[in-house]
Amino acid sequence: MPNRDENDQSRRWWSPILKDIHFWVPLIVLLAGLIVLRWIR
Amino acid sequence: MSFELTLPASEVSRLRSLQALGILCGFAAGAWLGAAEAPTKLVTIGVSPLVISLIMVVGVFLARWSVPALIRGTSHIRADVRQAPHLIVWAVLAGCLWAVANTMTIFAIRDIGLSVAFPLWNTNSLLGILWGFVLFNELRQAGWTRWFGVLGGALAMFLGATLLAITSSSQGPAVHAMRGISAALGAGALWGTMYIPYRKAYITGMNPLSFIAFFTIGELGMMTSLAVTYTGGPSSLWRELVGAKEVLFWLMLGGFIWVIGDVFQQYAAKYVGISRGIPLSNSNQLWGLLWGILVFSELHGRGASLYLQVIGGSLLMMLGAGAIALSSATGKEQLRWKEAAEREGRRYGVPSDYVEARMAGRQIVGEPKPTRSLWDWSLVVTATGIFLIFATMARVPQMSLHWGPAVALSAAMLVLLVVCGFALWRTTRFN
Repeated sequence: MPNRDENDQSRRWWSPILKDIHFWVPLIVLLAGLIVLRWIR
Repeated sequence: MSFELTLPASEVSRLRSLQALGILCGFAAGAWLGAAEAPTKLVTIGVSPLVISLIMVVGVFLARWSVPALIRGTSHIRADVRQAPHLIVWAVLAGCLWAVANTMTIFAIRDIGLSVAFPLWNTNSLLGILWGFVLFNELRQAGWTRWFGVLGGALAMFLGATLLAITSSSQGPAVHAMRGISAALGAGALWGTMYIPYRKAYITGMNPLSFIAFFTIGELGMMTSLAVTYTGGPSSLWRELVGAKEVLFWLMLGGFIWVIGDVFQQYAAKYVGISRGIPLSNSNQLWGLLWGILVFSELHGRGASLYLQVIGGSLLMMLGAGAIALSSATGKEQLRWKEAAEREGRRYGVPSDYVEARMAGRQIVGEPKPTRSLWDWSLVVTATGIFLIFATMARVPQMSLHWGPAVALSAAMLVLLVVCGFALWRTTRFN
């Protein structure tokens, strides 16, 4: 079942990233920055 | 449990050398990052801020692949990715943050001027201190004198930034002052947060030269998207690029200079942490002020009180940065850094020998020495060729410049480049 194995592997790779606050803080600040940029331009 | 009691003498000496190296890198970063903003003064001759930012990023992209290829070759990038592939996500994210922040700085310079905008976005160091403490154990068990140095320094920087903000809102163009201040502070927030990915990469052991290679992919992707979206589509962006072809080289050069400063900044973040490395590299504010006043005559003809406010505010910020820089990490704090590094290693399955060796600026046992391949030389030749093509199209912009101070400032930057580059090579071989 190569597809299932690949999916499991991909999930294993992404899972700690999505649970990591170090990922979410920069992402939220980036989105906020895009909103501010839209306002100031 | 003191530093000296918990680590062998050779390691204590090694960590002290790396701390000194990190501080030197921070100051060299300041000089080069400060100079990189000077070409953005071209915004006053009618080039769109988005085009300026995009072309700077193209220069950055070329430099970020060719400079590491020249220094060590790119084989180490493959080795780093094998050990910590998850860091590619953070590198790309940091690149996106940089692109948005850089675009904001161009708007800020246009609306409130280089010498005032600079200190405002340099409040990013306050955010860097916060993230360093909260997320990476920096300043934990550092002792009250270090805390006093860092918090006192942060307060001085805040007061300096406030003084400059008041100056800009009362003296700048009234219609755009608020927008310019928002742009500068927004850039500070994005850049301050960008140091989260930096620190994450370095406590996990990634080489700064590997990190910036992926960083620049996010940077170029985000900047291209912004430019296409905000200029009204690819065809109108192309028209703007063609219309500005005579100044494109200077903007790419600005990007190239920025990369040199950023490489030093990355090493500073690695060896002294973000809570200290970022304020140090924020000495770019002083360099920006020198370029703005001496080379571009930014405050020419204004009243003496305005000069006093800008210089006073800048000096206050510099004093704050100096106090933070002198509060170097103690042994107990170093151990907390190590705990944070071990946590990252466990979470992402990175081998501990790799993390420890790279934190100490060394290669792991048995790791092949990096060499330059034909691919690396091709990168260097291609990047140089692209720069030369744009140089043939370039014309010196028709604007008031003082060449004497420009040459003197450039010479000082070159001295710092040679001294710091040699120190890095001697101590770490750029590991």
